[in-house]
Amino acid sequence: MPGARVKLAVQGLTKRFSPQVTVGPLSFEVMDGEFFSLLGPSGCGKTTTLRCIGGFETLSEGTILLDGQRLDDRPPHRRDVGLVFQSYALFPHLTVFDNIGFGLRLRKVDKAEIARRVRQMLELVDLPDVAERYPAQLSGGQQQRVAIARSLVLEPSLLLFDEPLSNLDFKLRIQMRYELRDLQRRLGTTAVYVTHDQTEALALSDRIAVLSQGRIEQLGPPGDIYERPASAFVADFIGSSNLVKARVRGPGGGADTAVETEHGMVLTIPHVADAAGTPVTLLLRPERFQMTAGNDGDPRAEPVANRTVANRFTARVRDVTYLGEDLHLRVVAAEQQPLLVSIKNSKGTRAITSGAAIALVIDPEDIHVLRR
Amino acid sequence: MPGRAPRFLWPFAIAVYALLLAPLVVVIAVSFGSSSTFDFPPRGLSLRWYRAFFSSETFVRSFFRVSQVIGLSTALVATVVGALAAIGLVRLRFRGRQAVETFFLSPLVVPHILLGAAVYLYLARLAWPTSSITLLLGHIVIATPYVIRCVTAGLVGMDPRLEEAAMSLGCSRAQAFVKVTLPLLRSSLVTGAVFAFIISFSDINLALFLAGPGAPSLPVHIFAQIQFEADPSIAAASALQIVIVGGLILLVQRLFRLRLMV
Amino acid sequence: MERAEPMERAGRSPAWALFVGPYGIYLLVFLVLPFANVALLSVYLHSPTKIAVAEFTGANYAKLWEAYYFTLFLRTLRLSLIVTVLCAVLGLPLAYLLARSTSGIKTLGLFLLIMPLMVSTVIRVFGWVVILGNEGLVNQALRLLGAEEGLRLLYTEGAVVLGLSQQSLPFMVLPIMAAIERISPSLEEAAQNLGASWGQMFARVILPLSMPGLVSGALLVFSVSMSAFITPALMGGRKGRMVGQQIYEEVLTAYNWPGAASLTIILSALMLTLVGLALWTTRRRARLEMAR
Repeated sequence: MPGARVKLAVQGLTKRFSPQVTVGPLSFEVMDGEFFSLLGPSGCGKTTTLRCIGGFETLSEGTILLDGQRLDDRPPHRRDVGLVFQSYALFPHLTVFDNIGFGLRLRKVDKAEIARRVRQMLELVDLPDVAERYPAQLSGGQQQRVAIARSLVLEPSLLLFDEPLSNLDFKLRIQMRYELRDLQRRLGTTAVYVTHDQTEALALSDRIAVLSQGRIEQLGPPGDIYERPASAFVADFIGSSNLVKARVRGPGGGADTAVETEHGMVLTIPHVADAAGTPVTLLLRPERFQMTAGNDGDPRAEPVANRTVANRFTARVRDVTYLGEDLHLRVVAAEQQPLLVSIKNSKGTRAITSGAAIALVIDPEDIHVLRR
Repeated sequence: MPGRAPRFLWPFAIAVYALLLAPLVVVIAVSFGSSSTFDFPPRGLSLRWYRAFFSSETFVRSFFRVSQVIGLSTALVATVVGALAAIGLVRLRFRGRQAVETFFLSPLVVPHILLGAAVYLYLARLAWPTSSITLLLGHIVIATPYVIRCVTAGLVGMDPRLEEAAMSLGCSRAQAFVKVTLPLLRSSLVTGAVFAFIISFSDINLALFLAGPGAPSLPVHIFAQIQFEADPSIAAASALQIVIVGGLILLVQRLFRLRLMV
Repeated sequence: MERAEPMERAGRSPAWALFVGPYGIYLLVFLVLPFANVALLSVYLHSPTKIAVAEFTGANYAKLWEAYYFTLFLRTLRLSLIVTVLCAVLGLPLAYLLARSTSGIKTLGLFLLIMPLMVSTVIRVFGWVVILGNEGLVNQALRLLGAEEGLRLLYTEGAVVLGLSQQSLPFMVLPIMAAIERISPSLEEAAQNLGASWGQMFARVILPLSMPGLVSGALLVFSVSMSAFITPALMGGRKGRMVGQQIYEEVLTAYNWPGAASLTIILSALMLTLVGLALWTTRRRARLEMAR
């Protein structure tokens, strides 16, 4: 578990490529032993930030501290930081053994010690038999593990990952995800991980920084990022979403507030302090809708004090996408409000086809107001 | 960007370039000199050596009648023959294609002096006297591989599906080739032709053996002049050659990726 | 780069012959036959009156073991080796810089590299004569600085090495540059990340992986130097004489055609061996290039 000490401090990191293209200023701290992800679409600046920490880009402004010492004024070969590349960057002319031992040989460690540590590392990444092979003879997953072993054997203070799983196929990626996490937890090495895959970030991280256009949109644990996104961008980037524009109507029963969507649908949400008429953007996650029996619930009726009947409405299914585990329905609620709904595939849902009418409900607690 | 190359690399590179270009720079500078000794830097500027060049009958003949004519002829023949060969090598399938390609490109690695001696002795056996024609024949051997390389690169870099698309729209195979492939090969053909010209124009080793006795090419005449009667008109002749070759290479750089050639 | 799919199937002889035929026949007539003729001539008897008599003899080859020829060959080999090593040392850093530079600098660098290559050898040598001659650039500068006597720079082995190196350098740089371009920059970064300084990274990663380019370049430079004629003829004098001059003189001046033929065959055999060697080493290393 992450400790209380700050391992890496990035302060005001800015990289100017041109007047129009700038990354930063970015500031964040990574705690000792933490698995910290930089998540965002391509071009958001996450790889640039990583490369600045690794020393392959120079900062235009700002500082980077590792264990309290300046890191950004050191050349790349003198930072106590390991970097695992997207393309693995294994040396094709060296065996697996020599690849992993590369850094140790540079540090003039004696041969017996190198052999011991390399073998130990190969055991750790579950590749005990490939020491004498060349990288070209290994599979993608094996190459990736060698790349990790090569960095880990030097026992760096910080591990950097540049989208290491993106060249692997789907199933392998999921399996490697678990292995990576286990490895990091076992060794307790602080890790900074760059990815554009939000599922990966959610699965692996203690905390995530979501980046867009060179700035941090939100920083926090996966739960916060998913359940309480700070902006429409984050909401849209992580998981699927329905972003619904609405206006505050007034009190909605109990402590709740009633809002009316741009299509005239009335919803109950937890209390907000905004005055009537204030425009708000709502986030409704597709998997939070539930199917109810019967057709009670008229979206045009006055909101009821009883929460259990709030937010019930009927909708017409426009199309069904069968995904094995789930069904994705594109529905149109009354007043032409389009919504994406995700429900679990089961006996009861088999009958749903395009054109059917279904009854849905969503708990007011599952509606999140986006402030940006 | 890979982390910093040591700072001494750039000055080192510049020094190496200085070594590479020194002779050429000196020649051009001397050609504008006003004195009849090879002064560098030249003591005064003058065009007298260029005038001397153009008033020397041998120089002018070697330049215009011999070198240029043979150069252009070489370019023409080499381009046609080479383009045909390249198309055959890339687009047609036949047994031993790889071996044929190696054979066709072999003149690139045959030292010119050995080739010159061999062809000369061969012509002697056939009792065929040397002349501009024999020089042209020799130049075709060494220039065509350059065209083959250019056109091959151009063909390989082209999407073969373009021709297929044309055929699916109604062209015959030959029509598709002429209407689609040939225009796209234009820059390769021009580049190949330019290189064939340069190879012919600059050649000295073949020319020493194969040029006609009364019709030396420009490099041959320069060679003779250096040995017997050195005055800066040689520099003017040389400078002209440098400018022509340099200009042609610049032209080619705009049309095609240069480094594929050598 | 994938080859474009062949359009015709095997067996379409007419079309094949039309395209590949012209140059194929041309080379047979003007490349293969001449060398076959040379091979034949090399075992003919040389006669001062009839030049070559159709009697078989090994005398032309035997003569090559005489002191004069032997020394000539040895010197040619030695100078060629020196030039090759010099070009490798000068060319490697340049190749690296060009390979890693941005497009504008690369275009300029390539232009300045190829230009001297394409200009006629005589002109390059003429330039060196102006620079190194007794009344030349260097000596003029020395005299300006107060030296009494000039340095005898021309007509030495050193001058020949200098001239040949300048000529052959592009042949070394271009293949190495191509090889380095195929090395992913992330390999350089990985090495540095693991603790290698730039020099260590260059020695342990770039050098081994650019070896095929180095071998190609060395082969080209060596063969150009071995068969050099103009440069040693004008810059070497007696001390810097090389085999190429011998061939030229025996053909055009001494009319010892069988003798010239034997020299030609020896050199050609040497070139063929080197080419074969280079191809063999390149193919062995090629499998290492597979992982990227």
